Amino acid sequence: MKGTDGIVRRLRTRLAGALLSVLALTLTATGCGGSTKAAPTAGKSSSAPAGPNRLEPLEGKPEPRLPVTVRSADGERVTVERAERIVPLSGSLSEIVFTLGLGDRVVARDVSATFDQAAKLPVVTRGHDVSAESVLSLRPDLVVAETTTGPQEAVDQIRAAGVPVLFVKAAKGLDDVGSRIRTVAEALGVPAAGEELARRSQERIEAVRKNVPQNKDEPRVAFLYLRGSASVYLLGGRDSGAASLIEAAGGIDAGAASGLNKDFTPITSEALAKAAPDAILVMSKGLESVGGVDGLAEIPGIAQTPAGMDRRIVSVEDGVLLNYGPRTDQVLKSVVEQLYGEGGAR
Amino acid sequence: MTVLDKPARPAAPAQGTPPRGRRGTAWLLTAALAAGLLVLVPVAAGTGAYPIPVGDVLGSLLNRAGLGGTALDRVAESVLWNVRFPRIVLALLVGASLGCAGALMQGVFGNPLAEPGVIGVSSGAAVGAVAAIAFGFGFLGAWTVPVFAFASGLVTVLVVYVMARAGGRTEVVTLILTGIALNAFAGALIGLFLFFADTAAVNQITFWQLGSLAQATWPKVLGVLPCAVIGLGLAPLYARRLDLLALGERPARHLGVDVERLRVVLILVIALLTAAAVSVAGVIGFVGLVVPHLLRMMAGPGHRFLIPGSALLGALVLLGADLAARTVAEPAELPLGVLTALVGSPFFFWLLRRTRRRQGGWA
Amino acid sequence: MRGVLRGGRLSRLVPSRPVPPEPAAPGEVLAEAEDLRVRLAGRLILDGVGVHVRAGEVLALVGPNGAGKSTLLGALSADLTPAEGTVRIHGRPTTAWSAPELALRRSVLPQSASLSFPFPVEDVVRMGRAPWAGTEREDEDDAVVAEAMARTEVTAFAGRPFSALSGGERARVALARVLAQQAPLVLLDEPTAALDLRHQELVLRLCRERAAAGDAVVVVLHDLGLAAAYAHRVAVLRGGRVAADGPPSEVFSDALLSEVYDQPVEVLAHPRTGEVLVTPRRVP
Repeated sequence: MKGTDGIVRRLRTRLAGALLSVLALTLTATGCGGSTKAAPTAGKSSSAPAGPNRLEPLEGKPEPRLPVTVRSADGERVTVERAERIVPLSGSLSEIVFTLGLGDRVVARDVSATFDQAAKLPVVTRGHDVSAESVLSLRPDLVVAETTTGPQEAVDQIRAAGVPVLFVKAAKGLDDVGSRIRTVAEALGVPAAGEELARRSQERIEAVRKNVPQNKDEPRVAFLYLRGSASVYLLGGRDSGAASLIEAAGGIDAGAASGLNKDFTPITSEALAKAAPDAILVMSKGLESVGGVDGLAEIPGIAQTPAGMDRRIVSVEDGVLLNYGPRTDQVLKSVVEQLYGEGGAR
Repeated sequence: MTVLDKPARPAAPAQGTPPRGRRGTAWLLTAALAAGLLVLVPVAAGTGAYPIPVGDVLGSLLNRAGLGGTALDRVAESVLWNVRFPRIVLALLVGASLGCAGALMQGVFGNPLAEPGVIGVSSGAAVGAVAAIAFGFGFLGAWTVPVFAFASGLVTVLVVYVMARAGGRTEVVTLILTGIALNAFAGALIGLFLFFADTAAVNQITFWQLGSLAQATWPKVLGVLPCAVIGLGLAPLYARRLDLLALGERPARHLGVDVERLRVVLILVIALLTAAAVSVAGVIGFVGLVVPHLLRMMAGPGHRFLIPGSALLGALVLLGADLAARTVAEPAELPLGVLTALVGSPFFFWLLRRTRRRQGGWA
Repeated sequence: MRGVLRGGRLSRLVPSRPVPPEPAAPGEVLAEAEDLRVRLAGRLILDGVGVHVRAGEVLALVGPNGAGKSTLLGALSADLTPAEGTVRIHGRPTTAWSAPELALRRSVLPQSASLSFPFPVEDVVRMGRAPWAGTEREDEDDAVVAEAMARTEVTAFAGRPFSALSGGERARVALARVLAQQAPLVLLDEPTAALDLRHQELVLRLCRERAAAGDAVVVVLHDLGLAAAYAHRVAVLRGGRVAADGPPSEVFSDALLSEVYDQPVEVLAHPRTGEVLVTPRRVP
């Protein structure tokens, strides 16, 4: 009796621990590992990215000039000698490699790489359960990981096998787009392409920002992490990664504004009602898990906010919302459209 | 001739002084628990992240009852009536259900360490919920997870019961062993579903397992209400028979208890109470274990007090725990299931030690 | 509290309140087994047993270990289903009675008394009154419980939890519960096993009193001296059959007991009182 209880309870404790780490890891950097099945959501027609889920690589295929030695974000010096078999361990990094025009050198993907070009690649990780053996079995000559990727033991094992592992600083906002692209491009021996892509991405983002309506009253946007209607929901704070996006879209991050410094905080319904956001930003899977916009607008706490009463809901696909990469302009465009336009997810 | 002889004689004067103290304690405790609820409910109604003074709460209540008072502004009114009140009512119902189910469970199994999790209701219900989340079932909308939890919880109990029955009888040991096997199986299934689930679903499952009343709504209250009312209403009717069951199955039968039927009915009542609570609030442990224990220590093991008392104290404890969950770390919300386990398990250790010292064991 | 009990009856709905038995006439057969065969785990424990238990007499079941004494008692108390033959209680087959009806007709003292929760002694004894809940005799509960505790000498620890008692004290509390049940047929399985000399005598005196008051008492005993002293009738069991049945003075003989127990036994008359004494013949 005690034995089984113990197992169940241990599972529960482990889950509780996992909850925090999983959230911290997935949400901040890799864009909350989406799923292989890109599930369409009700009223999500204008969710980013608009149109087919395809990347737009640079013209031409740059030829890597190797070897190069770069400084990895974990402080190690990493020497890349070949880049024929690349394994990026997050969807965001995959996107950068593919958009640089080196997609044909990528041999596996994380489950969060949901775009069409990567669809046929085998899934090697699901966000945070990196298995050294699975990765090594692909005989990679370069592994690119987020600073939040783990466990450390697996990464050490990969390095011990002689495979260079490049850590890239996890993205926190729009300002990281250029630097992440440049870091990856440099390690792959294509700095020129990196420069070009970084410039292209910045220009596109700027173009979208120009079209953001100039409001006197900036809308307060709450970034909510929802999972089902049976439990709590989390409000994104200063470190959620969405603040930069919300501000670029001309809004105020309600979580950061109400003094939440962590990435995510489970918040009481009443505290959300008190925060009174004008709009709510959610990821499409979260929206789906509570029964779409109709379900969301009925959730206690949300129903009492201006956002809930006006059904001003912005929904972005999980895999791309916090990627901060070459497609961030599309994400931003979609957010702006849903926030101010008629095409919002209503 | 004595009164033991038949036909009966007028009652002889009772010898010795029968221990009436405990019965007095029971009445006193009932009054204290009721008073506790009368105090805590208004406190809970007047406390929360959204500031609504108790006076305003009262005014709004009177207004709705048509006895004067004044309605609040739109948002405050909605927070009070659609966020806070359903949550309070749900906490009371879930707490009463869990406390009562715990008392029944310990009585049925004649084991003070039994809890609803033992015969597999909790993990059975969890399997349904986890399956619904992991495989993305959504055909019943927001109700999918609760309905799955309830259905699989009930199925599990019935399976345990059918499997544990041999020759028209149910040995407690077999029943508990079957519960263990099923619990292990349910744990494996949950692990398997977690493995197949995508990260988003894993997070949702984790959230659900932590247990919470955060998304309490009136429809959820209405969903639990019939189960809770039926269960809480039926349970006290079996109090005296549960007392007799403490003697063992055969002696209870010798005293006129239809043990088999008693057990079937009570297991269904337990399943009803637990599965309903688990389905709307997730897994909230230790209430069903600690609450009956505490009362048994204070007022003795008689079920005529223990069953309604456990419902009252369960309601009180869960209302208090939920109040803490939503106010202690304001504006953050603490996971309720974690909170009850965190406070409940050390308390339970203390109980264990104390009882062992006092009575030299569980008897 | 009484309201709750009435509610308890409501929930039963069918069958309605069981009817207490009429007082038995002296000599009336309150329990009987006919050609009884009982199988336990595939083994034939009782092989064609026939006994009658009459109002007003104490019947002792004696015999060596494994002879089937407790099994016969179990069959008489309707705990066991016979493979063949019938057991009748108050003239009707055991299967024709409901549990509440049986509870008004026979009480049973099990070999060992256990309790899942630390109920105080008085509450345990009061449990014996459960069959009478909702009848007019319910009003006698307090008096009957107090009397039963007094007779078994447990009043002194009425308020102590059952679990805190010694083995002998528990056995007496269990007996008090059985007495409080006031059933006309009393079945006791080794009631003297855990008791000291004084309390052994006390228990069997109580058996005689109950018989004198018109009840039928069946008691499983190991002590042949006690059986000889207090039983109106003894049934000697051997290998699942009744080897002898009759008054102890007639049944107890050197030859029978020596054979049944596979041990030389001497039956003597007490030099002063003439009572039957049974003692094993020991090789010096």
